[in-house]
Amino acid sequence: MTVDVDELLTDDGAPRPAATALWELLDELGPEEILARQQATELDILTMGITFTVYSDGENIDRAWPFDVVPRIIPGDEWNQVQLGLHQRLRAVNMFIDDLYNDQRIIAEGVFPADLLEESVNFRPECVGFHPKFGVWAHISGSDLVKDDDGTFYVLEDNLRVPSGVSYVLENRAVTKRAFPELFGKNQIRPVDSYTDELNKVLSSLAPDGVIEPTIAVLTPGIFNSAYFEHSFLAQRMGAELVEGGDLVVGDDDCVYMHTVEGRERVHVIYRRIDDLFLDPEVFRSDSLLGVSGLMRAWKAGNVGIANAPGAGVADDKCVYAWMPDIIRFYLGEEPKIANVPTYRCMYDDEREYVLEHLDELVMKPANESGGYGITIGSRATEEELTACAQAILDDPRNWVAQPIINLSTVPTLIDGEMQSRHVDLRPFILTGEHSYVTAGGLTRVALKEGSLIVNSSQGGGSKDTWIVDDNGGWNGPPPQTQSQAQGSLDVGPEGIG
Amino acid sequence: MALLSRNADRIFWAARYLERAEDTSRLVQEFGELFDDMPSDDPNENAFRWAPLLAVCGSREFLAREASEREVVDALVCDPETEGSVAQCVAAARSNLRTTREVLPREAWHAVNDLSMFVEAEGARARDRRFRGHVLGRVANDSRRLDGILTSSMNRDAAWQMWRMGRYLERADMTTRVVGVRAAVLMAQAAKPDEPRDPLRYDEVQWMGVLRSLSALQMYQRSTRGPIEASTVVQFLLFDAGFPRSVRFCLDEIDRSLDQLTRTDSVRAAVREARDALMSTMATTTDGSDLDQAMDWVQSLIGKVNGAITDRYLSVGAH
Repeated sequence: MTVDVDELLTDDGAPRPAATALWELLDELGPEEILARQQATELDILTMGITFTVYSDGENIDRAWPFDVVPRIIPGDEWNQVQLGLHQRLRAVNMFIDDLYNDQRIIAEGVFPADLLEESVNFRPECVGFHPKFGVWAHISGSDLVKDDDGTFYVLEDNLRVPSGVSYVLENRAVTKRAFPELFGKNQIRPVDSYTDELNKVLSSLAPDGVIEPTIAVLTPGIFNSAYFEHSFLAQRMGAELVEGGDLVVGDDDCVYMHTVEGRERVHVIYRRIDDLFLDPEVFRSDSLLGVSGLMRAWKAGNVGIANAPGAGVADDKCVYAWMPDIIRFYLGEEPKIANVPTYRCMYDDEREYVLEHLDELVMKPANESGGYGITIGSRATEEELTACAQAILDDPRNWVAQPIINLSTVPTLIDGEMQSRHVDLRPFILTGEHSYVTAGGLTRVALKEGSLIVNSSQGGGSKDTWIVDDNGGWNGPPPQTQSQAQGSLDVGPEGIG
Repeated sequence: MALLSRNADRIFWAARYLERAEDTSRLVQEFGELFDDMPSDDPNENAFRWAPLLAVCGSREFLAREASEREVVDALVCDPETEGSVAQCVAAARSNLRTTREVLPREAWHAVNDLSMFVEAEGARARDRRFRGHVLGRVANDSRRLDGILTSSMNRDAAWQMWRMGRYLERADMTTRVVGVRAAVLMAQAAKPDEPRDPLRYDEVQWMGVLRSLSALQMYQRSTRGPIEASTVVQFLLFDAGFPRSVRFCLDEIDRSLDQLTRTDSVRAAVREARDALMSTMATTTDGSDLDQAMDWVQSLIGKVNGAITDRYLSVGAH
């Protein structure tokens, strides 16, 4: 039985240094006031219309975004290391994708197995030979991180296709500022608001050469998509157009246009929030109603920038994950600065031997299954199950990987008016273009059921604001400027504010 | 930045639905208050007295129908399933604005979302007379609040013109309906002096009601400085150049919006046609004869304006 490690509190219940100010305030407020503030944020979320859509009983239901008022706090110096690791990881990931669609150096040099690529469902042969601007394919990515008992952040998976959640990072901050105005301004909590501006810059940089003020469109599958709120939010924050496939058309000149009240207008960059396979019925699924015929033609002709580039998903295949440390070493000649969960690949003799000797400590996963099918958790399996699993590995070693069990850290969470510890994960967002950017923190998801590790909002998970707090003794800037005496004394009268 | 045709469609219809919700709210509120001034023990009369409301919002055939207060308020206000009810209009306005959040100032979405949550939770309480004013007043106020937010914080771009045109078109339509049904009925009654009622007392109260239902009473009085008199009221509601709910004013405002848009020819022609038709109905307003048919005609031409706007600006791939 492992002991949960809490990120805000030490084992004896005292606040950790970065959480001291928060904990003192919560103490001072008392349970009733904390609950009142939680309820006030819930009301804010309702009136601001912050929602997500779930599909249930044959219907799409727009639900209020689940939010817990107690923030998660990560010390700034710890976060700086994570950021460095994510910059590095995404740099390598993009070099990897560009290599796969071009020279395939990493395969030629025997670092990445050729047959893994052949079996990949996310490799798009249509993209072979293409070099997007800056050699970048995954412009917007969200990596899921977990913190283990040992206090280390591990990358659990990389989401390189259409990762969602960033709008909630910004909205969670907005409602938390209202809930704890006492703490902002006194503490060095890194702002998160600049994300949309950074996104705008990255997208603008993808415009065809010579376009100074590009028209950017966010391509959404529409109102019934679970992340529609976010699509709308991002378009709104960037001053971009939110478009559906039917709003766009590719002309005879291989340029993309949108239907407007003034006729057709050129679109230079598309931030697509629909999957590759639905992008262009001419090239991919011909039954797609969400995409735009000819979009791939326009992209390859350099007439429109698309983020993320079609085909970027090849690098978030589950089997690629196991090679990530090798990929970083291969392209950058550096050791990974943020850890992968150690993943043993049974196709390699030494790794397989280790797995077979440590079955009861590991989780064995078939590489080609998703959604948790075929997984054996060593510590919970019977002797017979372990034997069967060992046999399966020996029969088809290429299909098996194994990982140690990671125990998610916890953060105090308001449950029925009381503080209880609940497991969390973290999804930071990384932007990559000519330069790269990592959000200050990211989306913290929390499993609201006691002991549960399932943080998905569609399955009863909640969310928290994530604070990256710098410890430099609070605000030390110059005093605020005030009106000079001479002006201030002018005819203000008894009710004046001077 | 150019406006997507699909967004133009949603903004235009959000404006129409919200205006309809506001106008219907005012109408229902005023109707209830009117009966408070005109108590009646005659069950026969009571059975029919709510029917004109259905006629204004639907078709004139409803005039001949028995309708209880509860039934009418349900149909016009509370029932989200009934086409054109306040509850349905507010929900439709919300869902249109929900898909155009990036085009409008953020507060606009908050306002309509807030109103929508209120109507969902409290709308049914409009059945209760004591609470009705609260519900209907909130709808009318929030609709105007939204207008205020847009007026004070929205770029004067194509999206703004779509909003304006939606509001004014719906408003023009509603004024013609009120005049075509209620004013026409009142004038027809006045033309039959053998009816056993005190025409002066009731008429004045009724005409005040008509004016109030269009938020026009005070402005009418300021503008005419005279007594409340049938043909003056009708002319004020149809032709006044300065009253923002008169049909003429609404059509002129649509015309002004067109000044700010491109490719306006077909829409402009439809607006001119409707306006010319409106002005030609002047003769019917002195005695009320054929007023109902005249208003039907104007309404159908307002429908044509809607069609022209749809073809030119709201359909994807419009040319």
